[in-house]
Amino acid sequence: MTQKGIHTHRLLKEVEKAALQHKTRRHFLKESAMGLGALAMGALFPGCEPKSSVFGNNFFDPTNPLAPKPPMFPGKAKSVIYIHMAGAPSQLELFSYKPELSKLDGQDCPPSLLEGKKFAFIRGVPKMLGPQAKFKQHGQSGLWLSENLPHLSTVIDDIAILNSVTTDQFNHAPAQLLMHTGTARLGRPSLGSWVTYGLGSENKNLPGFVVLTSGGNNPDAGKSVWGSGFLPSVYQGVQCRSEGDPVLFINNPHGMDRDLRKASIEAINKINQEQYEEYKDPETLSRIAQYEMAYKMQISVPEVMNIADEPAHIHAMYGTKPGEANFANNVLLARKLVEKGVRFVQLFDWGWDAHGDSAGNAVDIGLVNKCRKVDRPITALILDLKQRGLLDDTLVIWGSEFGRTPMMENREGKKMPFKGRDHHAEAFSMWMAGGGIKGGTSYGETDEIGYSAVSGKVEAFDIQATILNQLGFDHEKFTFESQGRPFRLTDVSGKVIHQILA
Amino acid sequence: MKNRILFFSGLLVLTIPVIIYLFPRQEIDYNTQVKPILNKKCIACHGGVKQKAGFSLLFREEALGNTESGKPAIIPGNPGASELIRRISINDPEERMPFKHEPLSPEEIDILTLWIKQGAKWGEHWAYVSIQNQEVPEIKSAWIKNEIDPFILEKLEIENLSPSAEADKPTLLRRVSLDLTGLPPTERIAKKFLDDHSDKAYENLVNDLLASPHYGERWTAMWMDLARYADTRGYEADRSRTIWKYRDWLIRAFNEDKPYDEFLTEQMAGDLLPNPDDAQYIATAFHRNTMTNDEGGTENEEFRTAAVLDRVNTTWSALMGTTFNCVQCHSHPYDPFKHDEYYKFAAFFNNSRDEDTQAEYPLLRQYKGADSLKLLKLSSWLKENVSPEKGDEYYRLLKTWQPTINSLQCDEFENAALISSWYAGLRNNGSCRLPRVTLDDKNRLMFRYTTTLTGGIWYIYLDSLNGSLLKTIPLQDTKGEWKILTSQLPSQTGIHNLYFRYFNPTLQSFEKTGVMFEWFQFGQQFPGKDKTGYKSALNAFNDLMAAEVETTPILVENNKELFRKTHLFERGNWLVHGKEVTPEVPHLLNPMDNQMPKNRLGLAHWMTDKKNPLVSRTLVNRVWEQLFGFGLVETLEDFGTQGIPPTHQELLDHLSWQFMNDFNWSLKRLLKEMVMSATYRQDSKTNDQLLMKDPENKLYARGPRTRLSAEQLRDQTLAASKLLSTKMYGKSVMPFQPGGIWRSPYNDDVWKMSKDEDQYRRSIYTYWKRTAPYPSMITFDAGAREVCVTRRIRTNTPLQALTTLNDSAYFIMARSFAINMQVANDLDVEIQISKGYESLFFKPISGKRLAALSELYFVALNKFTKDKNAMHEILGGRVPNNNPKTAALVTVANALFNLDEWINKN
Repeated sequence: MTQKGIHTHRLLKEVEKAALQHKTRRHFLKESAMGLGALAMGALFPGCEPKSSVFGNNFFDPTNPLAPKPPMFPGKAKSVIYIHMAGAPSQLELFSYKPELSKLDGQDCPPSLLEGKKFAFIRGVPKMLGPQAKFKQHGQSGLWLSENLPHLSTVIDDIAILNSVTTDQFNHAPAQLLMHTGTARLGRPSLGSWVTYGLGSENKNLPGFVVLTSGGNNPDAGKSVWGSGFLPSVYQGVQCRSEGDPVLFINNPHGMDRDLRKASIEAINKINQEQYEEYKDPETLSRIAQYEMAYKMQISVPEVMNIADEPAHIHAMYGTKPGEANFANNVLLARKLVEKGVRFVQLFDWGWDAHGDSAGNAVDIGLVNKCRKVDRPITALILDLKQRGLLDDTLVIWGSEFGRTPMMENREGKKMPFKGRDHHAEAFSMWMAGGGIKGGTSYGETDEIGYSAVSGKVEAFDIQATILNQLGFDHEKFTFESQGRPFRLTDVSGKVIHQILA
Repeated sequence: MKNRILFFSGLLVLTIPVIIYLFPRQEIDYNTQVKPILNKKCIACHGGVKQKAGFSLLFREEALGNTESGKPAIIPGNPGASELIRRISINDPEERMPFKHEPLSPEEIDILTLWIKQGAKWGEHWAYVSIQNQEVPEIKSAWIKNEIDPFILEKLEIENLSPSAEADKPTLLRRVSLDLTGLPPTERIAKKFLDDHSDKAYENLVNDLLASPHYGERWTAMWMDLARYADTRGYEADRSRTIWKYRDWLIRAFNEDKPYDEFLTEQMAGDLLPNPDDAQYIATAFHRNTMTNDEGGTENEEFRTAAVLDRVNTTWSALMGTTFNCVQCHSHPYDPFKHDEYYKFAAFFNNSRDEDTQAEYPLLRQYKGADSLKLLKLSSWLKENVSPEKGDEYYRLLKTWQPTINSLQCDEFENAALISSWYAGLRNNGSCRLPRVTLDDKNRLMFRYTTTLTGGIWYIYLDSLNGSLLKTIPLQDTKGEWKILTSQLPSQTGIHNLYFRYFNPTLQSFEKTGVMFEWFQFGQQFPGKDKTGYKSALNAFNDLMAAEVETTPILVENNKELFRKTHLFERGNWLVHGKEVTPEVPHLLNPMDNQMPKNRLGLAHWMTDKKNPLVSRTLVNRVWEQLFGFGLVETLEDFGTQGIPPTHQELLDHLSWQFMNDFNWSLKRLLKEMVMSATYRQDSKTNDQLLMKDPENKLYARGPRTRLSAEQLRDQTLAASKLLSTKMYGKSVMPFQPGGIWRSPYNDDVWKMSKDEDQYRRSIYTYWKRTAPYPSMITFDAGAREVCVTRRIRTNTPLQALTTLNDSAYFIMARSFAINMQVANDLDVEIQISKGYESLFFKPISGKRLAALSELYFVALNKFTKDKNAMHEILGGRVPNNNPKTAALVTVANALFNLDEWINKN
């Protein structure tokens, strides 16, 4: 943010804060010297800048950290649905059409592809493995897509495919961390945390950053992929669950109904008000507001998490089954959440690894089954967002942490029982849609066997920069001061992928 | 936060011009006047990361040197001839600096001009200068209790503020108990204090609390964040790690008030002390809390390196208040640390034995029962019969299995593989290499292996598969168990590559692994062959090596043979090695004592040298933050020029000096000094004027009022509900946690709720899983401890409200508290509620509070009288007075545990 930008931003925020206090805590404002103090200082020194070298632009109001904030410039997208297939689906059976690879099927991998390379499991000389799916061109754009994604092919003109995504990590946990936090090590804030920190949330009664998981496991990197790192913990993803409480502890204890909860929160807040009058600590006011909000969330969260009331045609469209914990349900929930103003919805579906060590992990069996569970709902999501007029300002991202090798895996130098591919960092596919993305685009080309990116190479930082750009942030200026220096999601890299922008 | 931004920036803008105009001839101060301008306006392009036009302002010698133009940009004493001044003053936008940014203000240009005129002297940043004894300000006031207070009062007087009176006894009682022990006071201690009307009452209370065993638990909670303590390893599978003995070591160390210099030395280098005992080894687990990656297909060296660098970063940010990780990739952008100094420092840590192995070697082996007796006998036999060196060597083998070579060092696999990235596995006729083994005087090979086959033969060749055969070892079936086998070796000299081949006529398949090795140990035969008792000593040795033991990951240093060179990583990339470096501390700080070895032990001596400017200050500041909510330097992890400047630097230095010299590094004495001060004892009530002037209480005109930490809040509520188990030490426990939290791939571990009192242990005993930490603690701002947590930022969110309102763990506490309220008091509900409140806050309930809670009680009573089902649900069905009154009191207790005054300390 420029200095001027910072200043404008801060003023806007103060006005906003004042307005909020006026609305929600009218009777407290007068007594809240903290609020007044801030305003008075601002008025006294109209030209004064924060000591930016020390404080950077760490803007959040601890008493209302999720208040909506304007971006640096008007963005195309207001919210994000990020769908991550944990385990890494094979691009060669989905998006990357490689007829030449069929011809090499079963042959020894040429040494030039192996020299100086490291693989997670491939050892010695593996065999090449031809594509295990048929491809066709679709839509007006004529983009290639495999038979594993028959539904998605009907919306091909709404999505932009990135075919030359690369990474430098070939293990799941570090690669997922890189994709979502900008570093392969644990401990940095996730994309969703950055976005929620930057923009706050439109819905006061729901978390700003919601995480939904399916596939039976958390992603390999655990909750760190939605952690807040050095950002305040309020910006971490809140996991909404399909079993037990939809958000932890949202339900009252058994036997405590809503009226009694209301009475108890009223009693708590009455006493807290007295405490405030004694101590005048603004944090106490904030706590009163948080208890009110908690009470509202107890209605709004179960409401939004309940998909049973959706009409039958919506269930048919997504393939959802209320009551189950599955990916389709999560996709429908994602739509409901962004419709309600949730800023960032992150989906993780586990179980896309494909080493060929079991049928479930084979590119011609397990992958096909996983695609069946995913193809319909992701397509429905695009159609549904579109018919509701939400696709224009909702950015949808589908991807994973890396891709798969054109070679058949030979773990420890041995033939695997099924057809599998090893982790591959040098070329894989992702797609984006909505939120100012140019549909029917394909960007980046790989060589004729899909081993290396030949053109249009992008990495995690570029994708992150693009997402931030669509939301109205310059990724190079969107920083947070921690441990004595400004941190960026994209560290020292990242270029917006203008080629896929509308 | 924001308010303080405004507050300080306001001060800054005001003070600079005032100084210039009032004192034009005064000496310019580099640190307070020049450095802020350079940091803000210049150093992004002319500093540690970029040196545009060959000009850098980070170090004086660089700034005065020739730039790309061939001339220096600063000529001391002659601003008129200094290019820097010309370029900041000129109007032409093509030449004017900062390039394409706002020009410097006339005041800023004045400061730089005057500074160059006065000789362009570089000042040393306060935090890098050794700590001096401070003079206590001479102020007389009845308010003052000890030497802390004059420092505070001096600033208050400048600001025209007066301090607050002492808080009332009940408030002080609760505040100091929570601060020192993390718990509310016991009934006995509370009564003793409240009934004690002498002048010594408060001091007696403080002494009682410092002597409580819970004191150690409370400060361990703080240290666990710095040590990034966890019961799992991190990353994908995030498997379990048994390292709780380190947590117990911390509790004991705090309780016995181990002097901080020893406390640090043992954690940094306990293994390098002469004849380390178990406790000293366990202390080194501090730096074994780094993560390891068990994910299949990972590069062990990558994660070993990551752990080493994490040790460097933690040592600096947690123990020396400096963000050193910037220097990993380039010279520090703002502070005078050079790129290679990072790696010189990393060299201190690069020779520990750990290598990201599955078993997390090296481990301390603690023998159980009869085995420990056997060890005692064997070690006295060794003492009597063999040289001390030999004795030590064998004793160390028994205690640590070190030095051993992990089989993951093998390479050149042919029909063989590194199984799961850890174990060299050979198939029939398969081979591999173990590189660079020192064989001088080695006539014994001990190794750990597993196989399910008989008839396997292991051939070891020297230097190539066609080289001379060193040894043939038949490998018996271990039935899938890991076994240690010892074999004689013909004597050799020099360093050799060893080539292994495995052959087994019974193994038909070439795809099946015949044998897996875990480690190899090359040494000399068991000593004392001619001594009496040799045979039984040897047997005891072999038995003990294979004995079942308790283990804890520890640091053990590489010996000469396993010594690892350290290289600088170009731009921080571990795969791109730059020049070789040797262990050294940054030139900016106190030099290392020449007498000291250049290893972790020498490093620990350097850190705890009284000339070290950072160690004492960092600890004192952190302890202050624990009591007052903010540090004297708010950025606990960064005392550098980018950190927030201290509010009371002289006080920080005064306490840091005292801590080292007067208190002899005693944490208890430091704490006592702080809590005995009038500053600490002040009432925390504020008012509009004070809030306006000092919203975040950085001047201390009132007492601290902060939200309790996640641990304090849970422990306090457990104690109040009389559920708290006072059991100390031992394995981590699993209190109630909702289902579905743990879902790591490739890991079948489950959260298995602990039984009986183990559900109600203090929070530091809660099992900590890095990728899925205990949810209610995370909600209250605990970090996941993937890396060291140098500071928790307190937030205030609705999820916190939902936790204390609805989490079953908290609701069970409310139930228990309600029953106690009812049983302990007579039938009058107002008395029950009043007494309940008093037991929490040690003072009578106000009329308004009682009215609000009574009203809630009667709403609830009405409901539960009508709805018996709900009543039974609220009570959970197992209480003495199964009636609507009890259920209504549970509702009241639940409300009490959600009061702001309960969640905060006043």
